[in-house]
Amino acid sequence: MSYNKSSIKKLYALSSENKRYCFSQPLKHSIRIGKREYEVKLKSDEKYGSYILWKNRKYPVEVIRSRQNKYEILFNDISYTFTVETPFSMQRMKVLSSGRGKAEKEFLKAPMPGKIIDVLVREGSNVLRGEPLVILEAMKMQNEIQSPVNGQVVKVLAKPDTNVMKDDILVEIKVE
Amino acid sequence: MKIKRILIANRGEIAVRIIKTARKMNIETVAVRTSVEPNAMFLSHADVVYDNTEDISEIPVFLNIEKLIEIALKTKSDAVHPGYGFLAENAYFAQKCIDNKIIFIGPSPDAIYKMGNKTIARKIALAAGIPMAMGSEGNIGNEEEAVSIAEKIGYPVIIKAASGGGGRGMRIVRKSDEMEKMFIIASKEAEKAFNDPSVFIEKYIENPKHIEFQILGDTKGRIIHLGERECSIQRKHQKLLEEAPSVALDDNLRGIMGNIAVQIASAVNYYSAGTVEFLLDSDKNFYFMEMNTRIQVEHPVTEIITGIDLIEQQILIAKGEALKFRQEDIKLNGWAIECRINAEDVQSGFAPDPGKIEKLSMPSDPCVRIDTGVQAGSSIVPSYDSMIAKLIVSGQDRKDALRNCKMALDKVWIKGTKTTLPFFRMLVRNPKFIDGNFTTAFIEKDLDKYYSSSDYEEMLAAWLATKLFIEENLMDNSINIDFKKGKEMSPWLLNKRINQF
Repeated sequence: MSYNKSSIKKLYALSSENKRYCFSQPLKHSIRIGKREYEVKLKSDEKYGSYILWKNRKYPVEVIRSRQNKYEILFNDISYTFTVETPFSMQRMKVLSSGRGKAEKEFLKAPMPGKIIDVLVREGSNVLRGEPLVILEAMKMQNEIQSPVNGQVVKVLAKPDTNVMKDDILVEIKVE
Repeated sequence: MKIKRILIANRGEIAVRIIKTARKMNIETVAVRTSVEPNAMFLSHADVVYDNTEDISEIPVFLNIEKLIEIALKTKSDAVHPGYGFLAENAYFAQKCIDNKIIFIGPSPDAIYKMGNKTIARKIALAAGIPMAMGSEGNIGNEEEAVSIAEKIGYPVIIKAASGGGGRGMRIVRKSDEMEKMFIIASKEAEKAFNDPSVFIEKYIENPKHIEFQILGDTKGRIIHLGERECSIQRKHQKLLEEAPSVALDDNLRGIMGNIAVQIASAVNYYSAGTVEFLLDSDKNFYFMEMNTRIQVEHPVTEIITGIDLIEQQILIAKGEALKFRQEDIKLNGWAIECRINAEDVQSGFAPDPGKIEKLSMPSDPCVRIDTGVQAGSSIVPSYDSMIAKLIVSGQDRKDALRNCKMALDKVWIKGTKTTLPFFRMLVRNPKFIDGNFTTAFIEKDLDKYYSSSDYEEMLAAWLATKLFIEENLMDNSINIDFKKGKEMSPWLLNKRINQF
């Protein structure tokens, strides 16, 4: 994909809960709250690593994952995921989403490395959001891995008594 | 008896904690280096380090009784401190130490055994007239018996493993038609987890507070209590925050419960430090739950309000010395709160998040005590627990302690793994928590989110994401990205990147 870099005047950061933050491009190093502009600085030093300086306070920041235009940011120890869109890609997204409904698949992944203790569903099972699907043991704790969506299980890849790596797909679900 | 050198049969922050007191008492310490964490911080504190890195067995050395005895003898340690977890409540280990003329810094093997077996502990408490939830007199033989006892007690009931403890091996049953199934599951689980399928049944107390009493006893027969700890903030029976004292107790109730805790300890001729756990219901009825025959993770809050070093007392008692204070000498001063900062992801249901601690900076203030076994560069390894540090904050009263805690939490700086910090920052601002209006069900029932973030925090994170996008895609010198292929960036890379900007 190509576009004229200099023609982009705005960028949108969309949160995972679909909150939209609009920034001008080139990016200003200040953020307006009410009537005042507050300076934002991204800094880094040996003692603290990288941080954002905002209203005289340091906030730790990290990039946990970045893939295409999707960023997982750890800000003050809380993780946020954004997709950054240009006005052009925003427009395209709107066109796409106004089309047919999304009969998407959801891939339930292992949130951490560990051992599968139990698989609670089979192929064809209907599952509800929040329903435990797999029990994964990691660091001596049993963790219920829950369905993120309502849907139907199309494939079960997790097998009891096997070890999995982080992000291994455990269950494939057709989203309803 | 003299103690000149103590083998620490443990690791992490509790190893550091024990070494600090031993040093104060001019006692040498021996720590064990393992291949799992050969550069662990506690090793640098010890006087002698025993190298056990050759041992690559699956079982941690801290659970290997024969090996630990061998190390104690080889290093000429005259005492062993088991810390908490691992072999701390293993009667056989305590006996083995004694058999080898090594002082076990803890209670007698007999007391460990009796209190460790929940059915025996229940019988002892019953005989001593201690208030308890209604329950079966001993272990349950079969499903039919389970159903008939549960009917008699009335639902809900809780099935507990006789050899369980620390919240493990428990099942709550609310309806009679679930009883048979749950009994079988609980019994199987108990067999798997504790090598003992025996279970018993108790009335399940709804929404109680978890209140525990610190006990100190010497070998001369004197037993006192050092007040209570409030440990209701827990998730799946794992404690997250503890405080001392508790808002739920007044001096009168404290006296009554404390005396009963001492009675239970007396029933097994207890010496050393121990903890008697109670459930307290909303009508202030209390029920004996179990006794922990070890030093607890949360012992520092008691140390702060009593001014007594519990590890020092354990060592003195192990040497055979008499307690220097009586019950009336114990005065509770101020308030203390402990937050367990663990490498866990609160946004993914407290899933462990092991990894290397890249940066670590802790507040330094007279009202803050940090007990930790890690420093920048240390790793939180999957084989052990996920604790990074205990943040212990004091104040004149609860309000003051909470305010200090809020400030201290904002100053804790940890990078490299996700932590439970967002949970505590939210908790100390929660009105119900601030009012002291919470039970063990608080996290599951009263919170819809385990963290909170303000809008401007999210906005600043969005700003950073946008900035990165621009650096990567829209700068003249940025690499052109093939959006179809995508690209991956390894975590924790931001540091290097910022320095390039």
